[in-house]
Amino acid sequence: MIARVAAEVLKLRTTRTFWALAASTFGLILLIVVLSLSLDDALHSDEDAVRSLLGTASLSGLLMLVLGAVAGAGEYRHGTIASTLLVTPNRLRAVTAQTVAVALGGAAVGLAASALTAAVALPWLASIDAPVPDTSDVLGIMFGNVLYSGLAAGLGVALGSLMRNQVATIVFLLLFIFAVDPAISALAEEYARFSLSGLTAAMSGGSSEDFGADLLPFGAAAAVWAAYTAVLAMAAAALTTRRDI
Amino acid sequence: MLEVRDLTKRFGANVAVDGLSFKATPGRVLGFLGPNGAGKTTTLRMLLGLTLPTAGIATVEEHPYRELEDPIGTVGAVLEGPQFHPGRTGRNHLRVIATASGRPRSRVEEVLRLVELDGAGDKRVKTYSLGMRQRLSLAGALLGDPRGLVLDEPANGLDPQGIRWLRDFLRAQAAGGRTVLVSSHVLAEMAQTVDEVVVISHGKLVAQGSLDELTHGVEAPIWVRSPDAERLRVALAARESVDAKPPETGGGWLEVRGTTLEEVGTIAAENGIPVFELYRPRQSLEAVFLELTGGTEAGR
Repeated sequence: MIARVAAEVLKLRTTRTFWALAASTFGLILLIVVLSLSLDDALHSDEDAVRSLLGTASLSGLLMLVLGAVAGAGEYRHGTIASTLLVTPNRLRAVTAQTVAVALGGAAVGLAASALTAAVALPWLASIDAPVPDTSDVLGIMFGNVLYSGLAAGLGVALGSLMRNQVATIVFLLLFIFAVDPAISALAEEYARFSLSGLTAAMSGGSSEDFGADLLPFGAAAAVWAAYTAVLAMAAAALTTRRDI
Repeated sequence: MLEVRDLTKRFGANVAVDGLSFKATPGRVLGFLGPNGAGKTTTLRMLLGLTLPTAGIATVEEHPYRELEDPIGTVGAVLEGPQFHPGRTGRNHLRVIATASGRPRSRVEEVLRLVELDGAGDKRVKTYSLGMRQRLSLAGALLGDPRGLVLDEPANGLDPQGIRWLRDFLRAQAAGGRTVLVSSHVLAEMAQTVDEVVVISHGKLVAQGSLDELTHGVEAPIWVRSPDAERLRVALAARESVDAKPPETGGGWLEVRGTTLEEVGTIAAENGIPVFELYRPRQSLEAVFLELTGGTEAGR
């Protein structure tokens, strides 16, 4: 399995898509962080505002979700799935290897995005005597960003492998995240903490007050997200086993 | 060994492959022929576990492809259709396969040299010509140094030099004991490359045998010319199952069916009949193919 994951990592870093999405992520986060530091007066006195600023890197999760969808469905778009399955005929192993590899790629982008955020924000916050959380809190927020980016990328791969069409997968994801997920959360309060936005908030240091509903503990949120990914990956493998390539 | 037994594939109401059975054995090149839409690609994809059979079984060394322990060390494949990411370089495409299958990177360089793509390995696949993509595909098939090769139209896009290279390469692979199954519509090229042929039409087997058997076919008549043609006709017709008759053009010729060249010569000698010419015209593979498949798309 290690060899297959290594091959998928190689696959990921030998196309421009990964680097373009990573660069877009860094650019977007840098823009938001600099604008917030320049314009948001609340940062001078409100620790929650500072925590929120440091959580900006969690935006990388959304872009890594797109990366995963592009990578998973891209195998079918370019026909590389045939080459993949000739080397790894076991569909579950093939989907698992790609999910893990792209999740590692997503986590790497999340780590770099967090480091960028910290490198820009912390000295700036120090210069304006902002109420910066203690080091363990800052590291916790960063770890959440990294984990969320990785898990988001993995979910994208599993869904892309299941749907097999890049555009359809991305449209479905955006519709689900921005329309369906919030609508169900509003209608069924118990669902809210299991929703993608609830899990995202729990992993990226959000508070129940800000989110408007109880959040799962950090570890439980990550486990639920990973379980969603596993279910989608198994469904993709099962469907690919029964479908012609 | 590559084998399909009673293989059937239906796409809705359309039967793409219909109860097909054949074997490809080590040390031989088996040509897989059929008109466009006859079911060749579907059959090869079922052999490689990419398409599911509706009925029957396809095996590689007695196992379904999906159950092979070391798939690319067992059989290498060249498939029709897109299979490369256009933005990835040829060398990186092969490195992905090598990494996934536990082959060293040095093997990538070996196969790139073997298919003469080492100079273009760092170019993105989208800049490759069709012939270069075929060579890259072949490099991928060879990467695991497999005991068998399944090649779907490997000559597509190759220039005459490349086709000649491919022919020599396939012959060398078979001579080295490998099992080679190759589909192609370039019949003249196949005639120079293969040992045996399987011909399908409408997904059904219509002929199978060695190239000699097929092109000499027992149905092809023997032609014999003698100054005493009528006496020879009577002598031949006296043998059971032998049919001998003069053609409308005459000229001392007889068209003989149901016997062998040796027997015609022996009968003539036994009866003291001089023979000036005696031969069985060899049919071209193309003529045999067109006769067997009806000579049109999908054998219609």
